[in-house]
Amino acid sequence: MTEVLTSVLILTGAAFILTGAIGVVRLPDLLCRSHAVGKALTLGIFLLLLGLWAQLTDPQVGFRILLAILFQILTIPVASHLISQLAFQKNTPRWRQRPMDDHRTPASTEPASPALAPEP
Amino acid sequence: MIEVSIQLAFAALTAAIGLALIRLARGPTVIDRILAFDTIAVCAVGMIVLLSILWRTTFYLELILIFSLLGFTGAVAYVYYLSRTDNGDPTSEEAPSPNHRPDRD
Repeated sequence: MTEVLTSVLILTGAAFILTGAIGVVRLPDLLCRSHAVGKALTLGIFLLLLGLWAQLTDPQVGFRILLAILFQILTIPVASHLISQLAFQKNTPRWRQRPMDDHRTPASTEPASPALAPEP
Repeated sequence: MIEVSIQLAFAALTAAIGLALIRLARGPTVIDRILAFDTIAVCAVGMIVLLSILWRTTFYLELILIFSLLGFTGAVAYVYYLSRTDNGDPTSEEAPSPNHRPDRD
C-alpha cells in the first residue's frame, strides 16, 4: 500500500517536472517560461517530497520533510517572480502573435476582429 | 514496483535536465539562462529525493535543504546583479560598446 502511494506520488511529481521543462523549451516568451517554472516545478518537487514522506516510517523526520516542502514552496515562486520582474524591467521581447486558430469562429460570422490585431 | 517507478522518475528528471540544457545553450537573453539554471537546480533536488527514497535513508534531507537554498541564492544574486546594470549587459554600465543601440534589446 505504501509502495503504491509512493510510486503514484513520485511518478506524478516527475511528470510535472518534465512538463515544466518542456514548457521551458517550448514556450515562446520569457514570461511564459517563467510561468512554467513557477507552477509546474513547484508542484512537482512538492509531490516528490510527499512521496519521500509517505515512504519513510520514522515519524520524527516528518518535520524536516515539512521544512523542506515549506522551503521549496517559498523559494521557487519567489525566484520565478524575481526573474519575471527583471524581464519586465529590462523590456525583453514579448510574444505578440496570435494564438492557435483552433477555437476561432469562422470568418463568415466574425470577420477580422480588431481585438486580435497585434498591439503597437 | 517501486524500483521501476524510481527508474521512470529518474528518466523523466534526466530528460528535464536535458531540455533545460537546451534552453541554457539557446536562450536569447541572460535571463533565459538564469531560468534554465533554476530548472536544473530543482531537478537536482528531485534526484536527491529519489535517491533518498531508493536507499531508504534520511541522511540527505539536509542536502535537499542546502541544494535548494543554493539554487535560490544563485538565482537571486544573478537577478540582483542584472537589475543594477543597464541593459541586461554587465559591461554596458561603465563602458558602453560603440555599436550599443538603446532602442534594441
